[in-house]
Amino acid sequence: MTKKLLQGNQAIALAAVKAGLNFYAGYPITPASEILHELVNQKTVKVLQMEDEIASINAIIGSSLAGAKSMTATSGPGFSLMQESIGHAHMMEIPLVIVNVQRVGPSTGMPTFPAQGDILQCKYGSHGDYFPIVFYPNSVAELYEYTFNAFNAAEESLSPVILLSDSYVSHLYETIEEVDYPVSKRTLAPLGTSNRHFTGLTHENSKPMTSDPEVHKKLIKRFEAKQKKVSRKYNDYEFIENKNSDILLIAFGALSRAAYDLKDDFSIYRPIRIFPIVEKLKEIAKKYKEIVVMEMNAGQYANEVERLLHREIKSIPILGGKIDLNEIASKLRRIKRKK
Amino acid sequence: MTKELTYLNFLKQERLPHQWCPGCGNGIILKLACMAMEKMNFQQKGTVMVSGIGCSGRSAGFFDLDSVHTAHGRALPVAEGIKLANEQLNVMVISGDGDLFGIGGNHLLHASRRNTDITVICISNAIYGMTGGQCSPTTEITSKTLTTPRGNEDSPINVQALVTAHNCFYARSTTFHFNHALKCIFEALQHKGFSFVEIKSQCITNDGRRRGFKNSYEMMMSYKETYKINNSTNKLEHNEIGIIK
Repeated sequence: MTKKLLQGNQAIALAAVKAGLNFYAGYPITPASEILHELVNQKTVKVLQMEDEIASINAIIGSSLAGAKSMTATSGPGFSLMQESIGHAHMMEIPLVIVNVQRVGPSTGMPTFPAQGDILQCKYGSHGDYFPIVFYPNSVAELYEYTFNAFNAAEESLSPVILLSDSYVSHLYETIEEVDYPVSKRTLAPLGTSNRHFTGLTHENSKPMTSDPEVHKKLIKRFEAKQKKVSRKYNDYEFIENKNSDILLIAFGALSRAAYDLKDDFSIYRPIRIFPIVEKLKEIAKKYKEIVVMEMNAGQYANEVERLLHREIKSIPILGGKIDLNEIASKLRRIKRKK
Repeated sequence: MTKELTYLNFLKQERLPHQWCPGCGNGIILKLACMAMEKMNFQQKGTVMVSGIGCSGRSAGFFDLDSVHTAHGRALPVAEGIKLANEQLNVMVISGDGDLFGIGGNHLLHASRRNTDITVICISNAIYGMTGGQCSPTTEITSKTLTTPRGNEDSPINVQALVTAHNCFYARSTTFHFNHALKCIFEALQHKGFSFVEIKSQCITNDGRRRGFKNSYEMMMSYKETYKINNSTNKLEHNEIGIIK
């Protein structure tokens, strides 16, 4: 096993190649461009630089249907442009990997600064009901490992899987071991072998069915069950228990690395598969008087945790891309005092 | 017993009759595509049909091939992805003018620039038919539609100039000129690289009837009167149909 000093984005690209990536289409965007730069030098991957992110995701929808393991990478603005086609890929059941290296938004925001503002967009960004699998690692080694998991989950669920990162984690350089993780095989027969019809319309057995509510209900329920089943394989989280603390601090991605510095005062829970939300949190949370979610947005995941636990959650929003441990500690002290 | 209609083998016959309005041009173009594929000796295995959204977008589902009904405007990048991931496949796109020039216009610009080896058949009816008859990018100037009740103030898009700007195959025909349209599609399929066939087609339900046509026969006869065939030119005039390679 070789050890390598890699940047986060490089690790994603190299792991993707090892996980069987054949086709990549993307559009340049800070802070995700290094993935494109790395892949153009890979002989086994067909790389297309498209005219925009809409074309990028649609090109990989096509290539994936044609039998190629396919990926695109972007940041918030591009991810917003992709939303319609993400829903489309869920409806047509196409395995894809979409990497979103988050930066400060809304809009052009602060392109070089990290943020976690796309958490809810991952889950609710497209119209209609769909149940995406979303991973959010917090180190270069984990980005490498979860790129494999994203590809595998995509093949197993026949759906677009989102690998979240942020400009902090993606631009870190860390030494990692290049492990050959197991790779799931393609089960979907490629285009040009049959007479299937892939459509974004509500459908049954390759046939559009746009006026039967029962068909639609069945379809959405099947999607939900399928995503739940596959995600069970990836119930991934990190829990650092502090027996003296009755406060559970929840953080992920870049910010969770700062949270590690607080483990002497708090228990720390870090979801890695952030959606579908890992149910284990229900059990862990029972022991704690106070649940605090700190995240680099105005409280997006806190809402989701509140919905899961049916109790009041304290939110610490960290806005503007700067992670200041003193600021975080003083906000936590205030919560401790009020308790 | 009449001659066996072998081109029908390219269609899912259990899905016929199609759901388009009586008089619609889409059925004619479906038949044209099938006949051209038969002439090319395309097989079910190895051929893929892609469509966008709109009345024309429903075309792909009728073919007895693997087919993809993409999001609105996105037929071209999906088709490019398919072709570039497996260059052995014959990849065809059937879509409408609103889909290809309006919402998907940017992709046409770049698919032709990349010269990806796909064939696009555009059902160009100068109207958004499925949504009730709104002005489209190919609606003629002064033409009345739901959204241009006082007549369209803008010029239609110059598709020929767009496609030929990148030296790609461009052909224009109409649903009236059946044999010519078949020749256009056949030659487009033979062409290596990006090929684009624009077929003027009639929508009586949401366009023609508002412009004083009694039926689609009258609309097709107007194509007969308007368009003259010219297959040996580098630039088709407004009233000409033909092939530019």
